[in-house]
Amino acid sequence: MNLSLFRPSRTTAPLAALLLLGAASSAPPAAAVPADEEVRIGAVLPVTGKESKIGGAFKQATEFAVKEINDAGGLLVGGKKLKVDLKLLDDTSDAAKSAQLVEQLIAQQRVHAVIGGYGSQLVQAQSVVPERYGIPYVAGGAGATSIYGRSKWVFGTLSPVENLATTQMEFLQDLVAAGKLKKGLRISLVTENTEHGKDFQKGVRDFAKAHPAEFTVVLDESFELYAPDFKPLLTRVQQAKADLFMCDAHLEDFISMQRAYTQMGLYHLMLTYGARGADEAGRKGLGAATDYIFASGWWSDLLPYPQVKAWTAKYKAATGTAPQWYHATAYETARALLAAVTKAGALKPDAIRGALASLDLEDSILPGGKLKFSRSGQALLPFVVTQNKPGGKIDLVWPKAAKTGDPVAPVPRS
Amino acid sequence: MQELREVLLNTLLAAGLYATMSYGLAVIYGVMRIINLAHAGLMMLAAYVTFALYTRYEMDPFLSLVVVIPLFFLLGVLLHRFVVRRLPRTTGTPTMQSLLLLFGVWLVLQNLAYALWTGDTQSILTPYTLKSVTLLGVRVGVPNLLVFGVSALSLLALNFVLKRTYLGRAIRAVTQNRDAALLSGIDADRLSAITFGAGTAFAAIAGTSLSTLYAFTPDFGRSFLLKAFCIIVLGGMESFTGVAAGALVLAFLENALAAWTPIPTSFQDAISFTLLVLVLVAVPQGLPGIARKVARWRASS
Amino acid sequence: MTPAPVSRRTLPWLLFAAAGLVLLLAPRFLDRGSLNDVWNVAFGVILACSWNILGGFAGQVSIGYSAFIGIGAYTTVLLALKGVDPYLTLPLSALLAAVFAVLIGLPAFRLRGPYFTIVTIGVSEAVRVFASGVSFTGGSSGLRMPAGSFDFSVNYASMVALALAVIALTAALSRSPFGAALGAIRQDIDAAEALGIDSTRFKLGAHAISAALVAVAGSLYAINFQYVAPGSVFDFRLSLSIVLMPIIGGVGTLAGPVLGAVIFSYLQIKLLTIPALRDSYLFIYGGLLILVMLFEPKGIVGLWNRLAASVRRSPGGSDAR
Repeated sequence: MNLSLFRPSRTTAPLAALLLLGAASSAPPAAAVPADEEVRIGAVLPVTGKESKIGGAFKQATEFAVKEINDAGGLLVGGKKLKVDLKLLDDTSDAAKSAQLVEQLIAQQRVHAVIGGYGSQLVQAQSVVPERYGIPYVAGGAGATSIYGRSKWVFGTLSPVENLATTQMEFLQDLVAAGKLKKGLRISLVTENTEHGKDFQKGVRDFAKAHPAEFTVVLDESFELYAPDFKPLLTRVQQAKADLFMCDAHLEDFISMQRAYTQMGLYHLMLTYGARGADEAGRKGLGAATDYIFASGWWSDLLPYPQVKAWTAKYKAATGTAPQWYHATAYETARALLAAVTKAGALKPDAIRGALASLDLEDSILPGGKLKFSRSGQALLPFVVTQNKPGGKIDLVWPKAAKTGDPVAPVPRS
Repeated sequence: MQELREVLLNTLLAAGLYATMSYGLAVIYGVMRIINLAHAGLMMLAAYVTFALYTRYEMDPFLSLVVVIPLFFLLGVLLHRFVVRRLPRTTGTPTMQSLLLLFGVWLVLQNLAYALWTGDTQSILTPYTLKSVTLLGVRVGVPNLLVFGVSALSLLALNFVLKRTYLGRAIRAVTQNRDAALLSGIDADRLSAITFGAGTAFAAIAGTSLSTLYAFTPDFGRSFLLKAFCIIVLGGMESFTGVAAGALVLAFLENALAAWTPIPTSFQDAISFTLLVLVLVAVPQGLPGIARKVARWRASS
Repeated sequence: MTPAPVSRRTLPWLLFAAAGLVLLLAPRFLDRGSLNDVWNVAFGVILACSWNILGGFAGQVSIGYSAFIGIGAYTTVLLALKGVDPYLTLPLSALLAAVFAVLIGLPAFRLRGPYFTIVTIGVSEAVRVFASGVSFTGGSSGLRMPAGSFDFSVNYASMVALALAVIALTAALSRSPFGAALGAIRQDIDAAEALGIDSTRFKLGAHAISAALVAVAGSLYAINFQYVAPGSVFDFRLSLSIVLMPIIGGVGTLAGPVLGAVIFSYLQIKLLTIPALRDSYLFIYGGLLILVMLFEPKGIVGLWNRLAASVRRSPGGSDAR
């Protein structure tokens, strides 16, 4: 026997170490499928990184929804109350990691269902995985239509962003009909270069094209997320001399852009930043500069349903946070999934998926008061339009049936 | 005419901020041959410290510079003493080691910010944040003007130190000809510590300035860092007047392209990076390449 | 009955072949979760070892390799959407990336040290901004692979085989005259030029080879994840992790990038799946980076060599202490 063979040489040793590591990595003994004494729910959210603001809110609301169930003794599944074990991971707003983490949750942590992330790109990346393993998946933070309808396992509670834009246009059209605004409105359309921004852009463009007498888009620009300087862009907006300013932006960009907008003394008859405007953080950073901005969203605490009032109070008391639309949709996403598990009566993927597809969640806090998924898997709920009023007041101005105040149009010049 | 004035004024205002952002990088690079990747993290941290001072003690962000500048100078000196100094000394080109080390520092700073302030978007709203004044027929935001004032003052101060003090002469000597300067008995270690402190203080000035203009998160600063890279490359890496010129060129391009060409503004960043590559390539190796050859020839003979 | 003596030269190759065989056969005895881990590690190994050809052997540090992953991934997805079998697109991915690498390298290799590094950052960011601005890439929304074009076992085998091939290739390269020339360029480019080595040509060659390999990995990545977007494949963080892996393991060595990739790719995902560490993973990365850079810049291989040397110096090994 050649003993020198076993003496570590410079090259063999690391290679041997590699082999060992390789073995170690696969060693966690093919984790015997844990018994179903608990409901394992996976969630992959962007808690840090670019989307961390809303990702963090999603985490809080999801954890709140699960805690509520567990505090009440657990989730009723097939006549037994089971604890819900939420395995919530952070994908650091990285699409590549996001998909891998969902895969980890399903293949290694054996979750029964997955709650998706926030942000269309991240959810796009994730949504490939559920189909591969046949595990139900509900996203509460992606409104892009292209995500849905590809896999029967993928569901989403956010209505399409395009519809959000369309709702805003209908609201404006109604203002024209009411004589508050004049026909032939020229629009400066400025959107962030993300899927969210593009869907918004498409919604506005298509509507304007279909209603040429009322609307024309005279400026159509996009910008990179977290642009360092909005002056050049807003200079173009100034030159376009449009009547309406319609923008779609993340919170940071909303604050930075609206600051520059105010300083430059720009004026439009009406202005919106898509879903932004009513946010508390926005008001903190902009103060009176948010007055009269109208925004549409997937939820508002002004919705005239009793369940909304009760939930808002409960949420505030438990977390100390005044809930925004993203808290509400995240909460409803978790609630819908857990309700589907109860309805399925068993921890079988097929049964849960079936229950999701036929879910009809009553007493939903979302607009319309009922949550169900369309055939593509995406919920199609109405949108609300709010308008900020001076003194930190916010009014729900659309749909008319639910309004808490009249829209102010055109915006008074300051 | 109005348009030209607007472009020029906006260029000047943006350039002031860009220059402040870049000086910290340039000073450290000049003396220590280190590309400080933690620069972005330090700007972000300064923004948060300013924010904390504002919310906790209602201290005006510009006034808080009195606290922030010495604080970050000290932080820079400590960072140098306990981290950067331990790197093997480099003579010629910066090592990958220093680049990655400081990248590590950036990550740690980010995590620190997440732990202290969460990932929420923060912003500072002062009574004058939304105010503007008319200057030469152009409306200009008050904070932008103040930021420009701070930039101009700090650049003047830097200029004074560089031109009129022993320390400044030492810094310039090391920047221009490292080996000769070190041979002539300059205390390199002390000089490096002070330089790193100064570079960090400049990052802090930039961070505080940015915090009055923008909303920020712990991720804040990356796009500004890339811009600053572009500027110091444009300015030839080593010359301080070059940096100011680089800032002006970049700011002018951004404003002019938006005003007079139909190029979408979303390509703004691509433009600055393309410019960066073009300059680096069109002026191949630049002066440092020649300087290094001379140094090597000297060392070998 | 004397067995053929196993020389020190062939032993690593035998071990390597055995490891390869085990990994290729792994689908027979490992569950899907572990296979995903191996896939991940293999992906990391390809990136790290390919980068090492230019960054380690030739000493040209590029922080822009995500551009090649992106080129590979987009080539595959775009062609697959036109009905081409995804695996048939691999050669084209490699070719396109190599061409792009040469085009970028021609001007960029006139620069040295940090200037070259900064240019690579600039180029990759420009490519990302461009890719999210034009329409044929699907813009910032990205593109999905056509439905029903996925088979994990094929993808797994391809990725693992490619990783093994890349390891073997870098080992062969390091012993070839080509590798020697790259080494000369790293140590002293002026001296190398004086010896008649056309440094630009060798650097271009190394860039093209490594870019092609990375692009193929990018294609396989796209086939596995079925979705590409500028934010995922052109991400600056991806470029950084490609650099980090060889650094942790040991730049310019053969085993270093492999070790670095194994540890880094494995930890990267695992760290994120441990909820207790969720809020401090940046701390861990940053701290690790600082420690490696300060105390063992040659990475794990350097550490190992140091340990081995000290064991050799004190016969009796650990008992002596």
